[in-house]
Amino acid sequence: MRKFICILMALLAIAGLVSSYVRFLEGMKVTNLTSSIPWGMWVVFYIYFVGLSAGSYLISTLPYVFGFRRLERIGPLAILCAILALVTGLVFIWMDLGHPFRFWKVITNFNYTSILAWEVILYSLYLALLLVSFWFLKRCELVSQAKYSTGMKRVLAKFLSFSFSCPQTQEQYQDCHLFSLNLVKYLGFIGIPLVLFVRGGTGALFAVVASRPHWFSGLLPVMFLVSGLLSATAMLLFIHHFFSTEKERQENLPMVLILRNLLLLFLSIETFLFASETLVGIYSKIPERLELYHLVMFGPFPYIFWGGQLFLGLIIPVFLCSYKKTRRTSFWLSIAGLSCSCGVVSIILNLVIPAYVLPMLKGLDRAFIDHRLIYFYFPSIIEWLSSFGLISLVVLVFIYLVENLPVFSRTEIKF
Amino acid sequence: MPKIKELEGKGTLTRRDFLKLGSLAGLALTISVMPKVVLANNEEKKDSGKTRWKKGDDILLRMLDDLNRALLKPEQERKWSMAIDTRKCVGCFSCTISCIAENRLPTGVVYRPVIEEESGTYPHVSRRFFPRPCLHCENPPCVPVCPVKATYKRVDGIVVVDYDKCIGCRYCITACPYSARYSDFGENYTSPLQPYEKLPSFEYQKKWLRKKGKSPIGNARKCHFCIHLIEDGILPRCVSTCIGRATYFGDLNDTESLIYSLSKEANIVRLKEELGTKPTVFYLI
Ligand code: SF4
Ligand code: SF4
Repeated sequence: MRKFICILMALLAIAGLVSSYVRFLEGMKVTNLTSSIPWGMWVVFYIYFVGLSAGSYLISTLPYVFGFRRLERIGPLAILCAILALVTGLVFIWMDLGHPFRFWKVITNFNYTSILAWEVILYSLYLALLLVSFWFLKRCELVSQAKYSTGMKRVLAKFLSFSFSCPQTQEQYQDCHLFSLNLVKYLGFIGIPLVLFVRGGTGALFAVVASRPHWFSGLLPVMFLVSGLLSATAMLLFIHHFFSTEKERQENLPMVLILRNLLLLFLSIETFLFASETLVGIYSKIPERLELYHLVMFGPFPYIFWGGQLFLGLIIPVFLCSYKKTRRTSFWLSIAGLSCSCGVVSIILNLVIPAYVLPMLKGLDRAFIDHRLIYFYFPSIIEWLSSFGLISLVVLVFIYLVENLPVFSRTEIKF
Repeated sequence: MPKIKELEGKGTLTRRDFLKLGSLAGLALTISVMPKVVLANNEEKKDSGKTRWKKGDDILLRMLDDLNRALLKPEQERKWSMAIDTRKCVGCFSCTISCIAENRLPTGVVYRPVIEEESGTYPHVSRRFFPRPCLHCENPPCVPVCPVKATYKRVDGIVVVDYDKCIGCRYCITACPYSARYSDFGENYTSPLQPYEKLPSFEYQKKWLRKKGKSPIGNARKCHFCIHLIEDGILPRCVSTCIGRATYFGDLNDTESLIYSLSKEANIVRLKEELGTKPTVFYLI
């Protein structure tokens, strides 16, 4: 089964690479974006993956900064997940640029009033922080792996240990590891506010657009933050089950149950925020907002709201996390995580696209007829393939890294 | 807009097709007569500053006088502005088409669409047209969001896009409350490309040839008050081609100018004033 999934993903990844090549060759005309709906699927995935990264990092700080030792086993996995998710998110937004090879101009022509420009700086700092944290946590194990394993594992570990010399005795190792833990803890003091800005900033990109009532709210950055935590908890539940051995699943059950409770907590906060935002909007009876809610619930894609947001994103995870036959089972909880992740993507989809669907000026939609000016968006085949291809590629890289790096600390450290 | 190849191969022409072809023919005609207009206007520039307009003359002449007077001042003392009289606009779309021709706009990019508004119920119905260029806001929401300072407000009030800097993130398109910005997706009207689509545009006083991956393809684009013309003492194309003489242009800092007197009328409106964007384009209703 696992092999089959890997082959399927490899095929998707190839299709994704080919379609990305076509995108770079032909430019943005291969998308179904329009000047009326200028941000689409790639931006949705960018938001999702940056959130996943921020959430994963915040969860990793629970053991390292706040001392929740029971979550320590998921720490390195969460940081690795944060690294890959951040890189994926950045690739998505890079692909979305009309001139992708001018991205460096953000640094050389930095505009300090632009949240997007600040985000680029924050992403770079955040990525550096993640890499440093991961390396320090795993450096001793990497050195040991470089010495005592064979093949690719050895090459990879040797490369990643950057000629760090391993402590020679168990005692030295303890000191060394303690130093790393302390370092990661203090990095967390910088990392936590940094990541709050990273994720809050992604929300602010949208929240500051005063002319779009669907976004213009102080709650939006907070919702983005919570949705990030939610997607990370959900994804970690899924990944943990998928990558663990049966023995590890048994051993780590208390940790999985904590993650389950966190999932329920974040889900309730997110639902509360969403409900409060929506109900206030509906009560205000501002025609534009009412029309938008109507569109989201009964427009051309009602299944994103009813099926994605409500059913997959709320009902299924709440049921699986509370029903007595499933709530203590790693497998069912991982399904709850997967379903919840689909829910988060639906939330983001319903946040980004509908905001564009109503013309800014009445009658503008009929003023000039052109397929690049319409107020309807459904991703093109290239957008679908490149998105899911890229995601598959990242999953394959993740599988490779988890299997070849000491993420789960499965082998004893030898000196 | 129709693609020519879509119109080809149809045995009979419907009224709609005829109109579409008419627009394209107009577009070609505008391009062919343009050099003469430019020449004439350049000659006019030589005696810039002189007032030649007399009461009863075409208001275009008065606006040309206003324009040339403004050009004698330093750039920072000018404040370009546009007024659109919705009572005079007949909804002919000449401005839309002439702008497309002037700036060689590709499919999907229209700097100046004309919005039609119908109100009332039969038999008490009325119709109004209001063209919507970029409103060159005094407080433009599109400017602060640009991550690379590619879009900015010039000292004379025109909001511009530096095509060489723009990375095509489309954040400004999202932020503009009037949908006055467009993304150039790199498409064209004709395939294979007809000669008129291969002509360069002269936006921002530079020569832009349409080549894959090169600006302005991939950039955000918008109305720029035809800077390349006004700097040469020529009125923006939408102003000079407006058959209803419904579009006015000039320097708001010049108390002698026509645009200044219009800006003091009681019947002016600015779009979405509640947002505090302070558009310099205003409407007379
Ligand atoms: S109308 Fe739009 S594009 Fe033009 S200046 Fe105002 S915000 Fe910017
Ligand atoms: S599309 Fe270009 S002009 Fe607009 S915000 Fe992005 S970089 Fe700036």
